[in-house]
Amino acid sequence: MRLKMQLLLGAFSPLLFALFLCSAFAATAAEELLPFQDARQEALYRELTAELRCPKCQNQNIADSNAVVAVDMREKTYQLVQQGQNKEQVIDYMKQRYGDFVHYQPPVQWSTIWLWLAPLLLLAALFWVMLQKQQKAQQLQQTDAVDPELEQKLQAMIKQAMAEKSSKEPN
Amino acid sequence: MRKLMFFIPFVLFIALSAFLFSGLFSDPRQHGSALLSKPLPAFSLPDLMEPQRMLSADHLKGKVYLLNVWGLWCPTCNAELGFLTELRQQGIEIVGLYYVQPQDSAFGETFDLAALQQDVAKKLAEQGNPYQLNILDEKRSLIFDLGVTGAPETFLIDAQGQIRAHHVGDINPQNWPALAAQYQAVVQEAQATGAGGQQSEGATNAP
Repeated sequence: MRLKMQLLLGAFSPLLFALFLCSAFAATAAEELLPFQDARQEALYRELTAELRCPKCQNQNIADSNAVVAVDMREKTYQLVQQGQNKEQVIDYMKQRYGDFVHYQPPVQWSTIWLWLAPLLLLAALFWVMLQKQQKAQQLQQTDAVDPELEQKLQAMIKQAMAEKSSKEPN
Repeated sequence: MRKLMFFIPFVLFIALSAFLFSGLFSDPRQHGSALLSKPLPAFSLPDLMEPQRMLSADHLKGKVYLLNVWGLWCPTCNAELGFLTELRQQGIEIVGLYYVQPQDSAFGETFDLAALQQDVAKKLAEQGNPYQLNILDEKRSLIFDLGVTGAPETFLIDAQGQIRAHHVGDINPQNWPALAAQYQAVVQEAQATGAGGQQSEGATNAP
């Protein structure tokens, strides 16, 4: 068993090594060789390219896409970040050209308000249904509980009925 | 009340079905343009065929025209040339905005203007030339400012130089009538405001 394992490992170790190399290369390839003035600008660039959406692609950010427009947008983002523009300024710059579509965070407008309202309304509806159910259950419990006044009346009626019955029956 | 509650899932199902059904016929490429009723962005770019002549937004002001983004590398644009040429023969003004794809210097690709001019002239001679003139956008700067995502895309520009429509994809006999109606409306508007004289002047000025 152990021998088998060793054999397997022996056979696979070059493959594993190759895979490791591949991932190492992939990591360096993904990091474009862009010089930044400081780590803050680099972080901003990474954040922006992850948040800006490629307008040509179906649901890809510009960091992830190699479409010409995404490459151009990355380049423009880099230039604007280098010029010292902040996050909102860069996003506005892109929105002026490619519309709200280009940012993954939609703005709050009359047409988009339902994105926030719908979950709240659903929650409210759910809460209302639960409240109604609870009230009904409570009402049922209350009606199940014996009313002392009614109980007294009932006992009196039973007594009366018994008395009537015994008086009617011949001894 | 109880009966009404019974119908809620049914109503929800119908609403969801209607929403998803309408999604079947929506075009994911059309997500509105941010530039509608905004002026054509400022630019200074050379004429493709006469690169020493610099063109700007002011050159094109005063006439209604279609600004057609295209490139030889784009098969749909090439397929569209024939129909656009027919439109030019009907009197529609079309200005080309030539989309140069990025060159990969790692593969020894460089931008060769003379070769491009030759290829374009050959193509337009074969397929028909719909363009009054072609703006060469080597760095895709105007293309970027226009929010173009690819080619072909077409803008309708009015006499004041404002963008009135942004069409993504090719223009063909099926979708042209809608755009044509917009074009005619903008032309009539220009004539009504007295820019009609400039319209013909712009047309004769264009080579």
